[in-house]
Amino acid sequence: MNWHRIIAVSHKEWREIVRDKVFFALAFLVPVSMMILLGYGLSLDVEGIPLAILDDDHSSASREYAYRFIGSRYFDFRGYVDSERDLNELLTDNRIRAAVIIPPDFEKNLLSAKAVAVQTLIDGTFPFRAQTTKGYVIAINAAANMDMLAGHLSKILGTSEENIRRQLQPVRLETRYLYNQSLKSIWSLAPKLIMLILMISPPFLTALGVVREKESGSIYNIYVSTVSRAEFLVGKLFPYVAISMVNAAVLFLLATALFGAPFKGSVSIFFLATLLYVVCTTGIGLLVSVFVRTQIAAMIVASIVTLVPAVLYSGVLIPIFSLETTARIIAHLLPAMYYTNIVTACFMKGTGIGYFWLDVLILAGYAALLMGFGYALFRKRTAT
Amino acid sequence: MMQKWMFSAMHNPMIWLRRLHVMTFKEFLQLKRDWMLLIFIVYAFTADIYLAGSGVSLQLREAVLYFTDQDKSVSSRELVYRFQPPNFHVAGEISENPRKALQLLDEGDAMVVLDIGADFEKELITGASARIQMQIDTSNSVQGFLASSYAQRIVADYGTEKAMTRLKALGGGSASLPRIIDDHRVWFNANQNDTWFMSITELLTIITLFSVLLPAAAMVREKERGTVEQLLVSPLSSFQIMFPKVLSMTTVILIGCAISLALVLKGIFHVPIRGSLPLFFAITTLFVFTTAGLGLFISTIARNLAQVGMMTILVFTPMLFLSGAWTPPEAMPFWMRTVMYASPLHYYIDTGFGILLKGAGVDILWDEILIMGILGGVIFGVGMARFRKQFGN
Repeated sequence: MNWHRIIAVSHKEWREIVRDKVFFALAFLVPVSMMILLGYGLSLDVEGIPLAILDDDHSSASREYAYRFIGSRYFDFRGYVDSERDLNELLTDNRIRAAVIIPPDFEKNLLSAKAVAVQTLIDGTFPFRAQTTKGYVIAINAAANMDMLAGHLSKILGTSEENIRRQLQPVRLETRYLYNQSLKSIWSLAPKLIMLILMISPPFLTALGVVREKESGSIYNIYVSTVSRAEFLVGKLFPYVAISMVNAAVLFLLATALFGAPFKGSVSIFFLATLLYVVCTTGIGLLVSVFVRTQIAAMIVASIVTLVPAVLYSGVLIPIFSLETTARIIAHLLPAMYYTNIVTACFMKGTGIGYFWLDVLILAGYAALLMGFGYALFRKRTAT
Repeated sequence: MMQKWMFSAMHNPMIWLRRLHVMTFKEFLQLKRDWMLLIFIVYAFTADIYLAGSGVSLQLREAVLYFTDQDKSVSSRELVYRFQPPNFHVAGEISENPRKALQLLDEGDAMVVLDIGADFEKELITGASARIQMQIDTSNSVQGFLASSYAQRIVADYGTEKAMTRLKALGGGSASLPRIIDDHRVWFNANQNDTWFMSITELLTIITLFSVLLPAAAMVREKERGTVEQLLVSPLSSFQIMFPKVLSMTTVILIGCAISLALVLKGIFHVPIRGSLPLFFAITTLFVFTTAGLGLFISTIARNLAQVGMMTILVFTPMLFLSGAWTPPEAMPFWMRTVMYASPLHYYIDTGFGILLKGAGVDILWDEILIMGILGGVIFGVGMARFRKQFGN
């Protein structure tokens, strides 16, 4: 390996990137815009679920019960309807996601101390939202039952409602939220977005950069030159790693300054791990470029092999322990999961390198492996 | 002579159609030669959708729970026993050392640690409120919140059951109590099968990606190589240059979509296709055309394929994430929801899920289809106009 040649290749690549001003600008604009849009838009908090109510009882008890839903910030009340058919249509047309049907004789049954079934309809197209909505319904019902039971029993037993209430809930659960006391979803999301964006952007840049030369034929200049494979690859990848590291720094600033995510770990260790991760993702781009001949194919392959696994198998939305066996194996085979562990440790937990050195080591191994494969498969000639 | 020939071509629909045919054939031929691209198109519509749909769930599953039990009573054991799959997975008991608990949480090996005090059963029997401590890893806030609310429900139910037996004995065993029974029904996907949701979402995502990228790339490639010059001096109108690209790519996408529906969605995941398939394909065609207009617009701005790639990501990711496909639109901030209404993908997702899962027809979906058509017309029109301006007619 001759450093002069590497620098020459890097310099040439850099000039090529900079000369295409639009491409150069986009290389920085894409990660930033993704961070801002996803940071504000990608929320899994389920609130303001549009809801309609069918009240067949028209009593004060039914109104009071309905108001528990209307007044809740988890639901967005869209009005009363007159028939089940209306509810049906509203649900099918996505105008509401949940409906409550209060039966006739609601008040009468309750006053005579009987059980009464209230039906709720929930739109199940988005299972996560349905699950959460169901949770809210159960909680609202439980609160209503508790109030009623306390009132009823205090009359029978002749003690105060407060006393009954305390007796009805003999176990108190004291919860401590660790690492994210206020449960701010952006705090846990913003750092993981760094992982996600650095998985999408560098492979794209790199694959395009290498395949561009293949497609335009300018790579023949390299084939006939004295530059060795290794020198070419290192020189070629260096500018992309550099651009991605600048992007990583910008993303880090956006996460901490714009979204206010706490950073509790060591900045230098974090950026060292980030460098390893960026080398990995750049390496994925290199590997993609070895297999494809055209830039269109490079774009398609790069986006498909990175985007889906990075969202699904990295722990950004779904914890690794929740995945099924095959998915969990895939997760362990990809670098994203290890970097997510590091990001979580550095941002949220503030644990030292002692807790995640293995993840760093695996990333380093991964980087070496990818570069090795890229080197082995890259030929200084093409089949065509 | 030349002018006369062109004049006749414009007025002879047979020649017009034959040119369209030849140009479309050329696009297919070009695609056929890029076999790596073809393989990945097939991969995207099959294996990729299978991967996204299988084994992935946003719901809380198997949250790893450790506990310390200083009481070692029947009551404490019964309570721990209530933390069951699918939501929880009791991984084991740890000694009273609080540092061990923190270490498990720090390393991410535990998500929940319960701590049951020494006098739990005694307090429960005397009615003095018994306390349990719970520590939850909320570095994933959504999952942490879910774990917390499930745990609270389990503990509350447990406590109420214990209390009721006692209070009933006190109240003379009166069986009748006023109570609201929660009878909830989940429609369209009764078992909240994540596979259906994920696979449909992924299919719609792939369709969107290809319908922006493929036409834009096909156009810019000609620009980059200079072959567009040859096309421009041929007796072809700019529409005849552009339209075959959209046509061929739309065909490819529709075939991919059909394969995916038959093999993966219906074949493997048993997604109940409740609505009309012809309607679904009609709407998909409309959507692909409108999004292709966006791709053409990009192709008029971009000078080379690398720019196309970056611009596509720039347009595609917000479109995808702001469509309500991955996250509930209700949770978005107001301004973002407003932007969402300008994205054709939002309406495509509503109609797609509406037809496939809800069995909705034109009678219900007409307004979404109309808005999508108008948006699409505008996007395609602007793309076409810019293309004409750039290449002349």
